[in-house]
Amino acid sequence: MKSRELSLIAMFLSFLVVFVPYFIDVPALDTFSTKLITITAITVSFTLLLAIHSQFKRGFDFVRRKPRGWIFKVYMMITIVLMLLFALGGLETGPYHWAMYAIITPLSSVNYGILAFYLASTCARAFKARNTKSILLILTGFIMLLYQAPFTGAFFDLGPIGIYLANTFGLAAGRMFLISVTVGAMVFGIRILLGQEPGVLGIRSEE
Amino acid sequence: MSLLKSFNSYDSRIVYLLLFLIVTIPLLSPMGLPISVSPSTVTYYEVIDALGPDDLVLVVLDTEFSGYMEIQSGIIASMRVMVERDAKMCVAVSHPEATGIPELVFAAIKNTVDEHGYTYGEDYVILGYVFPNEAAVASAAQDWQGVIHNDFYGQSTEGTFLDQIHDWSDWTLISDYTTGIQSGSLINHFGLRGTPMIVNCIGVMISTQMPYLSTGIYQALLQSMRGGAELEYLTGHPGPGMTAMDAFTLGHYMLIVLIIIGNIGYFGTKENSRRNVE
Amino acid sequence: MTDPVELSIMVVGCFLSMCMFSTLYGKSSPLYSLAEESYIGFATGLTIVMNLMYIYNTGVVGIQGGDWILIFGFILGIATLLRINPKYSYFSRLPIAITLGAQLGLSLRTQIYTGFIDQIKASIVPLFEGSAKTLIYNWTTFICVIFMLSFFLYTIEIKGPIKLSAKIGEYLMYASFGAIFAQTFMGRLGLFVGSIQNFTVPPWKKPILIACMAIVLVALIALDKLNLLEKLTPEE
Repeated sequence: MKSRELSLIAMFLSFLVVFVPYFIDVPALDTFSTKLITITAITVSFTLLLAIHSQFKRGFDFVRRKPRGWIFKVYMMITIVLMLLFALGGLETGPYHWAMYAIITPLSSVNYGILAFYLASTCARAFKARNTKSILLILTGFIMLLYQAPFTGAFFDLGPIGIYLANTFGLAAGRMFLISVTVGAMVFGIRILLGQEPGVLGIRSEE
Repeated sequence: MSLLKSFNSYDSRIVYLLLFLIVTIPLLSPMGLPISVSPSTVTYYEVIDALGPDDLVLVVLDTEFSGYMEIQSGIIASMRVMVERDAKMCVAVSHPEATGIPELVFAAIKNTVDEHGYTYGEDYVILGYVFPNEAAVASAAQDWQGVIHNDFYGQSTEGTFLDQIHDWSDWTLISDYTTGIQSGSLINHFGLRGTPMIVNCIGVMISTQMPYLSTGIYQALLQSMRGGAELEYLTGHPGPGMTAMDAFTLGHYMLIVLIIIGNIGYFGTKENSRRNVE
Repeated sequence: MTDPVELSIMVVGCFLSMCMFSTLYGKSSPLYSLAEESYIGFATGLTIVMNLMYIYNTGVVGIQGGDWILIFGFILGIATLLRINPKYSYFSRLPIAITLGAQLGLSLRTQIYTGFIDQIKASIVPLFEGSAKTLIYNWTTFICVIFMLSFFLYTIEIKGPIKLSAKIGEYLMYASFGAIFAQTFMGRLGLFVGSIQNFTVPPWKKPILIACMAIVLVALIALDKLNLLEKLTPEE
């Protein structure tokens, strides 16, 4: 089980079982491939259960040290257990339902909503027309911001230019990033398959 | 001079407070500013408007709850149209927080659901959290009956319209409401195989989703909260999107003003005008 | 008359949300820590519940239906969990290797098309046919893609025509970043507007929102004036 070679062989074989049937029609292999994918889905779901260990480990380490505010970590660990207990009482009504809509959903929405403030503040400070490139950036940014604000359409129609900027410049940049990221991901994937990234498998380099 | 200096170096909390007020006040007291409809929203509407009683739609709530806050108008408006067209809907989610969304959406369109006699089990099924990772999406695309057995409430899906689904080719449409969690997986395992897809994404993702629109994997793209508001306007059912457009508009104008003020401060202060860098 | 459960959901949710916004005050506060730890705890619990449900619905029900091969999913999954024990953590290598190989197979077999070949094909557009608007769009997209891609050539020396192309690509990228930044701001603003809208519809929620905002702001200022903010905030 500890063998690096065994891990690499297992990885390569499972890769082939999933990759080959997509291009070459072999019915028996196709069925096995589909089952392997389902097994993978179940196994990956198990790894998310590691979250409970990492949160409790972090919490207990913090509480053991008894720094300022350790009671918050105790509260956090209690809430994890509470949510698990609430789920036993049913998901459609009761305390689970209450916790879902009173705590998780509003805090989740606010968690990302705060980014708007940081973005606004950063943009206001950072976007200075220092040179040609920044002037270009600010100009196109202004046109798009005005186009995106629905009320602007009542005064002047920025639709044609806004759509042009989004469907040409925006599209080209998105395409370019997508191609670059895809090539990078593929190269990294092939490196993993060839055993050149042992860290991903949890194998230390000295093994 | 001190005014220009303050334009160049003010406390960030002033921006935070301004943004908070500019968004909250119009939501507390809406002004009803007009909106226009963009061609991308019209294209999106035409796709869902063409659905009929024999069509099977996989609605994927591919978002955390925070993303739902942005695209809820698009989700509600789209699903209302699907109910009105009597299309069969299967609602799946790819994030644990999204399991709370179907209840809110169906509560928002309750009148339409009741009017059309849209029944759970016959016309729609809520599966819950069935797309936790890419492998789950891939296995559902290749062998639906082998992986999907129960709905979110623990009842068997046998006997529902999902008996007709075996793989990706049996779906009429995939309607993805996404913050990017499994949108790539849905594209790779459904869209690439030819299953028609439409998407309603958050603003951050628009530029990264447009390449898929141009390659034909997406039939249509509904853009963020504004697209949802336009869809509400188009379908004649005002909702959270249109209500939010006042705040949306003022937020955009506020940013433009702040950038202009920042630049006035930058160019107005002597030190910076001497240090202009190319 | 509002349902008491709905009212309690609104009051608690609004108060905790305003506590989370208290981070904008610029100083760490116990109110923010309360909101943060509440979210982490309950959301972790929710994630575990939902994943257990998925494992049950897909795995257990599948096995009960005769799909015995899915037992391997449980064996590999439990082996993965042994990662937490340093003595037995090597058991997790095999399931990680198998799942990694399978997921690499899933992504590599499709991304080559969606992220590369199809994108190249879509960039090859008619440059001399079509209406004036189509030609402007096509030429702009074509020029942007070619010049922007030339900016990202790292393995050859950028000189001569490629240097000019990369320079033009850089300027075109800045123009597109302006469009992207506007879309990004639209997205973030939409998230914030939506989160506040949650507390304004229906109208009975509005006074509660204003009250929670006021209470949290007063509490923050009071704690700051009394120099209690840092004393009551947990250490990082």
